[in-house]
Parts: sequence; structure tokens; C-alpha cells
Amino acid sequence: MATAFAERSFLGTFGLVFLSIAALFATDTFLVKTERAANLVEAARLFEQALVLMQRGENAEAIERIKDAILIERDNRYYQRTLAQAQLAAGKSADAESTLTELLQSDSTDGLTNLIMGRVLVKEGRFAEGISYFHRAIYGRWNESAPENQLRARFELIDLLAQRNSKEELLAELLSVQDLAPHDLKMRVRLGRLFLLAGSPARATDIFRGILHDAPANADAYAGLGEADFARGDYRAAQRDFQTALRLAPDGQAARQRLELCNDLLTLDPTVRGLGPAERFHRSLKLVELTMDETSQCIGQNPLPELRELLDKAGTALKAHVIAAHQSEISESNTDLAEQLWQARKKECKWPPATDSPLALVLARLAQ
Amino acid sequence: MCGNAARRRVPRHFPATLKTMDSNPQPSWIAKLSRSLERLRQSEDQLSLVLSLVIGALVGLVVVAFILLTGRLAARMYPAGGSGWRRILVPVLGSLSTGYLLWRYFPFARGSGIPQTKFALFINDGLIQFRTVVGKFFCCSASLASGIALGREGPSVQVGGGLASVIARNLGLSPKQVKALVPAGCAAALAAAFNTPIAAVLFSLEEIMGDLHAAVLGSVVLSSATSWMVLHLVLGDDPLFHVAGYRLVHPVEFGVYVVLGVVGGLGSVCFVKLLLGLRAWFMRLPKSTVWFQPVAGGLAVGVMGYFVPEVMGVGYNHVEKVLNGDIVLKVVVLLAVLKIVATAVCYASGNAGGIFGPALFIGAMMGAAVGGVAHALFPNYTAGPGAYALVGMGTAFAGIVRTPLTSVIMIFEITRDYSIIVPLMISNLIAFFISHRLQRQPIYEALASQDGVHLPTAQSRNEAERVQVRLAMRPAAEILSPDTPIIMAAHRMKESNFNAWPVGDKGGLRGMVRSWELEQAADDGASNQPVAVILSKGSENSQFASEELPHVHPDHSLSLALERMGTSGLNVLPVVSRADVRHLIGIITLDDILNAYGVSKRDSPMEQSE
Repeated sequence: MATAFAERSFLGTFGLVFLSIAALFATDTFLVKTERAANLVEAARLFEQALVLMQRGENAEAIERIKDAILIERDNRYYQRTLAQAQLAAGKSADAESTLTELLQSDSTDGLTNLIMGRVLVKEGRFAEGISYFHRAIYGRWNESAPENQLRARFELIDLLAQRNSKEELLAELLSVQDLAPHDLKMRVRLGRLFLLAGSPARATDIFRGILHDAPANADAYAGLGEADFARGDYRAAQRDFQTALRLAPDGQAARQRLELCNDLLTLDPTVRGLGPAERFHRSLKLVELTMDETSQCIGQNPLPELRELLDKAGTALKAHVIAAHQSEISESNTDLAEQLWQARKKECKWPPATDSPLALVLARLAQ
Repeated sequence: MCGNAARRRVPRHFPATLKTMDSNPQPSWIAKLSRSLERLRQSEDQLSLVLSLVIGALVGLVVVAFILLTGRLAARMYPAGGSGWRRILVPVLGSLSTGYLLWRYFPFARGSGIPQTKFALFINDGLIQFRTVVGKFFCCSASLASGIALGREGPSVQVGGGLASVIARNLGLSPKQVKALVPAGCAAALAAAFNTPIAAVLFSLEEIMGDLHAAVLGSVVLSSATSWMVLHLVLGDDPLFHVAGYRLVHPVEFGVYVVLGVVGGLGSVCFVKLLLGLRAWFMRLPKSTVWFQPVAGGLAVGVMGYFVPEVMGVGYNHVEKVLNGDIVLKVVVLLAVLKIVATAVCYASGNAGGIFGPALFIGAMMGAAVGGVAHALFPNYTAGPGAYALVGMGTAFAGIVRTPLTSVIMIFEITRDYSIIVPLMISNLIAFFISHRLQRQPIYEALASQDGVHLPTAQSRNEAERVQVRLAMRPAAEILSPDTPIIMAAHRMKESNFNAWPVGDKGGLRGMVRSWELEQAADDGASNQPVAVILSKGSENSQFASEELPHVHPDHSLSLALERMGTSGLNVLPVVSRADVRHLIGIITLDDILNAYGVSKRDSPMEQSE
């Protein structure tokens, strides 16, 4: 009797314990779901507040809110990336770097995180490291719209390289992006201009000509083509392109300025084809005069004897009376004198001459 | 091996079972299940194994529910950004309601739960009532959810141990088996509460059992692992705190970690002394105020929370922030001080909740404070405050709870950061040493002592394994009443061979009166006065307390009894209960001890020759 009772008690207790385990498991699962749902709502609320604060520029407050949101929803990479962006905006680039490092430890191929890391490092002045993160972003994994995001990352890098005037790296990036970029006119114009910045006017010319083939009335393409011709030293062609661009879009201030520069150049350059001897002589004298003025403005009280001698020669040349028969010959010697004076000025003067002035451009062309 | 043994034993019990089945035909799977359970019931080893798994799963699920319930309720009761008045009102009402429930229905569910579990394990044959488990669960949930600055881990341990006790007793297991399963329940609870399965095993052995080589190791490990798996199944694989990877920046940092150990040790001692002092004060208040006393804790934490909301509740989210160096120096210092006061008042006033969580909080803040100062002074040689907060947690734990090994492993498991383990060990040991020097009695022992309970220490348990007092003691046939005249008492003592005699009344043992005290009183002309006069004189000089009364417990060794006789100059000692030192169980005399060792005067060769 006692054994049977003990048996029943034994079985009953075990049964009750297993029932309790099942009931508790169900309860816990329900509680966890409720908890997670509530947590998601709370984290999203805090994050929304943070975004509003970031828009207002209150980044320090925003950082606190995002951190609170992350405490609730620890695995949300979006929150963590936004935290890094807020830290970067607040000037806490070291904190941003630390946040991103953690993110990259868990997934080093995350494209967006690498992109933000690149921005952080560039802001810290660590360009080489920053550029490597840009590359990781370009070849990294993007959860949505991967081709578009990768292209955007590449153009961000391209803009950065253009700003830093890193021509070789810029050209390399442009060559890789050339076929990937969308073929809309705006993008092609942008690419053409970037090739110009990268020091490849020939490629830029091809692009702008391609655009004009498809859209003959595109003022931007004409302006771009003008820039490309200008960069190649073909001022006459550039003048024509800028004129066409202005005809198509009369409000183009940049094209107007470049056209004026072309005009000045072409009226100053004594080597332009089709000039008569008198005009060529007149221009050579003007060149000597402008060079002498530019040099005189920057030299000190006691210039080098060679420079003094050149200045004297220039003064003599300006005063000399030249008959028509010798004008061609004297034109050439004047041009040589202007070039020598310009070289001497570069050595003597502390500040360099403006590289985009008509005088500098003409003399640079003559030196080629 | 065990399984084979069990299988060999099975046939002996088969006939009864089969007979039952024959008379009452059942489906084959039920018959199989019955046979399996019967076999299980007969095999102690197998049963212990299965119960460890079952207890681990059950306790894990209960603790997960406890964590979720307290967290959710807390978020609703005093939400972040809520009004200041709410932060005062909620803890006051919470402590008032739980205070009444604890006083009226669940008196054993007060406080942390660790001393109560040890009491059950060592003194009460592992008995923890189901009512206490239920009371602890719900009162603690309500208490912690209302913002009381206590932790959930200690209560979880009592709930876990309690569930193990309830199941084992309902299965009709022997007291020895029940006692063996209680630590398994404790380990399962701690593994789930802290997400630290190894530290839970160590804690059960180091603190609960007081013996790292305890025989229950296997079942403790099993239940801890099962509970941890259940936790992961339900809540996922997340450590309690997410911490940035820290490393030792420069060897100079070891010096700073030494300083942290000193600060952590001193801070721990301050906390423990404040808590014990306040608790002693609350205990001196009239009994009728017991149900109302927790309100003092609620009010204190409410007022602090009005100005500094971070003080309220368990505060693990703030610990995580400080571990990541997101709280400034002034704030961490303020939080450390406020939390020490808030936790001490909350606990001392009788609220339900533990001190594990607050210990981690206080430690993290102290560590961040030390680290913040060090980093400001030596930025190139030290890590950020977060690393020190991490080590500080272990330091405070080692200083307050006095389990240095558990604290090292626990911090490692909580953060899963191995790189900081050597500084952690250095700081922990220093804090442990300082705490041991300045506060001799560990906190759980001291708390039990305040309740009149003498928990056995590891040393006393070792002694107990030898010949025990219970084997040699005799009943206290006659106790002197405090009203007995001194002359009569002296006469009786002369008739006996003892130089002291226990004095007691309905309230229990009052003390021991010595023969020379009686003689001196008689010489002074106080022969007709009652013995109580001598006792009251004695208590004027040294206040009567359990520590001053020479006594032994039944589980003490005879050698200890002999040693105490030598110290006190008495040849007879009262044997008193561990649960109540005024409860006289018997007496033990010098002759009894000698008899137990077989060297009584009667039998000695010298006596025989005479």
C-alpha cells in the first residue's frame, strides 16, 4: 500500500514538474516576444528622437539617444552606423572610429560601414587609410541597391581625390568607373570634367564629343569641350567652343570668363598663326612690357645682376625703334627676352606668378 | 558502472510493479514509462542525474520569467523620462505592499536569499517551503520592479534552491538527497540570472557549500549547464554586458589596479558595515513596525531617484554605459556613493532583493572613478575608465560577497573578455584581503548571526567531519532557574563535579553561572539573592550575546569543545542549537569528552593501579 502510494507520488511529481516546464516554456516564450516587441518600439522611439536632434545639429544629445537605443537593440547595425555618423558630426572622430571598428570586427565586408569609416579617417587626416576603406566600401557588401551604392561610394572617393588633386589615383578611378556609370548626359558631363581634373584632356574631349554627337545643343558639353581644348593649348578651338556654349546658354558665367581668357590669350600670343609681321612685333613688345611689369613688382631692392641686366635689356627693347624689315627678327628676340625674364622672375620672386593669367599661359605655351 | 549496478538491482523490484500492471492492464508505452520511472526511483545515481537536468531546466525557465517580469514591470512602473514624483511614489508603494506581504505571508522571503538557503541546507535538512519560493518570486518581482535598489540574483538562488528542495521532497527523497540537490538548484538559478554557468558552479561550491571539493559537484555542473542552455534557448546568446575590448596599455597600470583593489576593498567594507549597522538598528525597532520598515528603503531610494534616476532598480543598463566609458567622473562617484546608501537602506529595512547586482553596480562605479582619475593623470599609460569599471565589478564582488574565485570567473563570463583577467585577479585579491582584515565575518554569516543563526563555516564543517559533540553530549537534566537563590545553587554545584551550571527560563538559556561566582556572591552576603543577579552583573561587563557565552553546537568537534573549555575555564559547556543559541539541547562535560575518546578517569591505568 505504502509502496503504491510512493509510486503514485513519484509519478505525479514528475508529471507535474514536466507540465510546469512546458507551461513555463510557453510563458517565457510569450514574455520574450512581448519584451522584444516593446523593446523594438522603445528603441525606434529613441532613435527617431536622435534623428530629429541630428537634423537640428544637436549631435551630443543625439549620441546619447542612439546609445540608449543601442542598449535596447544591441544588434542593430543601422543604429550603430548612425551613431558613428553622429559622433563624426559632433567632432568625436576617435569615438566614431571605435564604434565603426567594432562593427567591422563583426562584418568587415559591410559596404556602408567601410564608407563611413573612410569618411572618418579622411576627416582625421589619415587619407591613405581612408582611401583603402573607400575601396573596401566599393567592393564590399551592400544590403540593398548594391550597384548604385557602390557607384555612389566610388564617386565620393573620386570627388575626394579631385579635391586633393591626386591626379593619378583619380584617373585610375575614373577609368574603372567609366563603363559602369549611367549613360545620362549629366553623368557623362561630370565624367568629362573629372577627366579634365585628372589631367586627361584627350579622354575628356572624347567624352564631350560623344555627348555632342547625341545632343548637339548641349551647352555644358561645349563648355567642357572648351575646357579640354584649352587644357590641350588649343585656345582658338576653345574660344569657338565657349562662344557656342554661350550662344546656347547665355547665362553661363564660367564659360564667359573662360571665353574672355581665351580672347586675352589670343590677342597677346605673338605666335598665333596668320598674324602679319607688324602685329606679331607689336604683340612681342606687349609681352616684354607685361613681363617686365610683373617682374618689377616682385623683385627686391637689390636684384641679381643677371636679372638687372635682363630688365635693362627689356627697357631698351621697349624704347628701340625698329623698321618694318626687321620686325619679324626682333619679334623673335623679344619673345626670347620675355621668356628669359619670366624664368629669372620665377627664381628671384618669393611668390609664384598666377598660373591662369594670360601672360603666364602664353609664356608657358612658348616654353613648350 | 552505476547504470549497471542499477540494472542489476531492478529485477528485485519488478514483481510488485508487474503485479500492479497485471491487475490493471495499461497501454504498452505507459507500462514502459512506469517501469523506467520505477527503475529510476530505485537507482540513486540515475535519479540524481535526471533530477539535476530537470531542476536545471525548471529553474532556468523560472529565472528567465523572473528576469523578464521584473524588467517589463520596471519599464512600466518608472519609465525613463517619467515624472520625478512617480519615482518617489512607486518605490514607496512597492515597498509598502511587499513589506506587508512579506510580514504577513512570506516571512522567510525577506532579504537576499543566500543566508536563508544556507540555513535550509545546513540546519533545516534542505527544507525550503514552496510558499517561500512563491513569495520570493512575486515579492521580489514587485519590489525590484518598483525601483528598490537591490538585485535579483540572490533571490533567484533561493528560488532555485527552493524548487530543488520542493521537488526532491515531493519525490520522497531522503534528507541527504534533498540536501544534495539544493546546491544544484542554486547553481541553475545563478547560471540563468547572470548568464554565467561556470561561476554559478563555483559560487554554489565556494559560498553555498563552502567546499570546492563537495561531492555534489556533478549534479551542480549538470543543472548549471542545463539552466544555461534553457536561458540561451529562450533569450539567445547575449552576455549580460557588452564591453569594448580592453587590454593592458602599460605595465604601470598594474599599480593603478592595486589602487583599485584597495579602494574596492575599503568601499566594500564601508558598504557591509553600513548595511549591518542599519540592519541592527532596524532590528531594534518594535516588532510591530516590521511590516512598515521596508517603506524606509522605498522612501530613501525614491528621494534619491527623484534627483538621480540611475540609482533606482538593478541598474545594469547604467553599468553597461560605464563599462563603455560613457559616464563622466563626477557622476560615477555620485552613483557609487548613492548606490551604497540606497542598497544598504533597502536591504536593512527588510525589502526583498539581493546584493549581487548592487555589488556589481557599486564596483563598476568605483572602478570607473579610479580609472577616470588615473586616465586623466596618465593618459598615455592607462586604459579608459571602462576597463577599470570592468575590474571594479569583480573587486567589489570579492570584497562584499568574499568569493574571490567566483568573482574572477564571473566577470570573465559576464563580459567574455579574457584580456583583463590578470589585473582582475590582482585587484580582487587585494580587495578580498582588505575586506577580510577589516570585516572579519563575511556578510552572509554576519546577516545570519544578526538573526541568531550560526551558519557553519568551512572550517567548522571540516571539524564536524570528525567526532562530533552530538555523540558525547548528555541531556541537560536540570537547569538552574534565574530565581534560584545563590546559596541553593552553590549547594547543588558542590554536589556535582562541575564548575559551572546552565541557567535558563521559558525564553531559553540565559547564561552559565560559575562556581567561583557563586562563592564570591555568598562571601559578599548575597546568599539569598537570585542567580539572575550574577548573570546581570556579568552582562553589565560584557553584554550577553551569543559570542560571549561559551557554548558548542551538536555538529562541532570534540576537540573544539575541549579547546573552548580550556579558554573559558569551565569543565561543562552548554550545547545549543545553531538556529537559536538560546535553545539548550544538552550539556557536554570534560568527562563526557574523555569517555568519548576512551580515556575516562575510571578507566585510566593510574586509577586502576591506585
